[in-house]
Amino acid sequence: MFTWKKLGLVFAPQDAPGRPWLKEFAQAPSSLLFDDFVRIYFSCRPAADSLGRYVSYCAYVDLDRADLFAVRGIAEQPILSLGGLGEFDEFGTYPVSVIRHGAEIRAYYGGWTRCESVPFNVAIGVAGSSDGGKTFTKLGKGPVLGYSPDEPFVLSGPKIRRFGDRWYLFYIAGRKWKVVGGRAEPVYKIRMASSADGMSWDKANKDLIASRIEEDEAQASPDVCHANGKYHMFFSYRFSEGFRSREHGYRIGYASSHDLIDWVRDDAKAGIDVSDAGWDAQMISYPHVFELDGSTYMAYLGDQVGRYGFGLAVLDGSLE
Amino acid sequence: MAARSFRKLGKIFDPTRYRLHDDCVQFAQAPQALLLDDRVRIYFSTRAVDKSNGKYLSRIAFVEVTKDLREVIRVSERTVIPLGKLGCFDEHGIFPMNVLRHGDAVLGYTCGWSRRVSVSVDTAIGLAVSRDGGLTFERQGDGPVMSASLHEPCLVGDGFVKFIGGRFHMWYIFGTGWKKYAADAQPDRTYKIGHAHSRDGITWTKDEARQIIADRLGAAESQALPTVIGIEGRFHMFFCYRQSFDFRNNSARGYRIGHAFSDDLVNWTRDDQNPALDVTPGEWDSQMQCYPHVFECEGKVYLLYNGNEFGRNGFGAAVLE
Repeated sequence: MFTWKKLGLVFAPQDAPGRPWLKEFAQAPSSLLFDDFVRIYFSCRPAADSLGRYVSYCAYVDLDRADLFAVRGIAEQPILSLGGLGEFDEFGTYPVSVIRHGAEIRAYYGGWTRCESVPFNVAIGVAGSSDGGKTFTKLGKGPVLGYSPDEPFVLSGPKIRRFGDRWYLFYIAGRKWKVVGGRAEPVYKIRMASSADGMSWDKANKDLIASRIEEDEAQASPDVCHANGKYHMFFSYRFSEGFRSREHGYRIGYASSHDLIDWVRDDAKAGIDVSDAGWDAQMISYPHVFELDGSTYMAYLGDQVGRYGFGLAVLDGSLE
Repeated sequence: MAARSFRKLGKIFDPTRYRLHDDCVQFAQAPQALLLDDRVRIYFSTRAVDKSNGKYLSRIAFVEVTKDLREVIRVSERTVIPLGKLGCFDEHGIFPMNVLRHGDAVLGYTCGWSRRVSVSVDTAIGLAVSRDGGLTFERQGDGPVMSASLHEPCLVGDGFVKFIGGRFHMWYIFGTGWKKYAADAQPDRTYKIGHAHSRDGITWTKDEARQIIADRLGAAESQALPTVIGIEGRFHMFFCYRQSFDFRNNSARGYRIGHAFSDDLVNWTRDDQNPALDVTPGEWDSQMQCYPHVFECEGKVYLLYNGNEFGRNGFGAAVLE
């Protein structure tokens, strides 16, 4: 079992005044390393509209590389614009995953549209930055990864990686909409695609992670890294019903693989759970693991899926 | 090319005269032919009313007619393909469904509709397969085989598929965007005709965002429902086109049948006048002509199409001369 030492809440959107578009939530942290700071991208929301509907934007916070609890800067504007009328990302950009490839910085994000019979649909878009990752321009008006026979809706939670000379996208795909108490809730599973150029994708068309707590378990945030000769995935999972409660809410799971296709799930090894009290006592989710100056860190969300920000934990030992 | 013309056969099917399954009333849109030994089966999209909100649900039915298209033999008695599940691309309608025989199966390429909030709808193309000669179809997965992509942001639909030279070709439409033409107007869409190909009919490679048919009405021309046939060594495409707004009730801006030809399936020359489909004043197709489908039967090339009100009262035919 891994031993994670929780370091506490590192960023709360409530501490970033003067940005009405960044009122609440700092979801799905994703890191990009710079010489003297670590930029953590996340998704946030302005206040809901009169019907209680949200839009999501993406932003970042720069943390001092020598002291991750020292905030060096916060995005002054959303890094991505919302899509135009009728486009797949008209109502939200969440989550985002950013990667540096040579001189290029590229972002993959979930674009949200609103539907009539179900509340939303999501597909994955791509954007590039020419100002060092402060703002991004979409590479097209449509999604770079869209729906297919076995992935009919809700393609979201992208995590972009490069292993060897290939691009990998880990993401979730909706399996069904389950009506719970008159409300349609999506059930989704962890999936993968690979690509030679990051633009044209071959889907693995496989559930990478076996469901454990129930058939309709929802799985999210497939965060993959390579260390000590194998691939490690931290992800989050929850029950399909009652998941806004402590008992059925998000927890962090773990799996490992030697080939990225076949994964062995071993949640008992994840080594991180809800706290007895505090900002992450109800749920923990959306893990993101990154190496920095000899240490392994996990950024993750606490209660209400990051409404009050994200925190950090540091691994005691190494990923083995 | 020698001058050709269409001779109109008039309306051949009126859905309001038949009792249809799935609670459908009115509309027989986008007719699509499947040749049987002794008859022609013509699939079309009809409509039921969604009891939850009064909106339409497009559903597939068929009519079988004699090979000269003059006599109705029977109308489908039960569901041909159910609508998609909650939240799926084809939950709120299938319109149209293109059918073709391939091996022992009949393939159905569906255009599935699902409703949106800021705009009325999005569409994508699905694949359904029939193992009973086309009486019923089973979808291959809950999702589409072709949908929006990086440079085709919305409204991928109207697939028409032909197997030529060992590979599948699909002509289809893709949306270029939605626009409000007046402050108080509902958003209107514009779409163009594109092409994709496939080895297996499931995994498609698009010539992404390449508009293959030149605009006649300018950038705001919407082009729909391509249908392709080979005649004497040359490929001919028929489609319909209209202005992108004020096209429903204004006949001058509404759908007409267009035409283009190609010798290589890559480059198409638009030539709406040869052959042209005349508009006959006072007839069922005097205000609008849309949703063409061409096929060959017993040595003759037929055009099926809808008339006024997008086919509310059925479809008719013309024969190429």
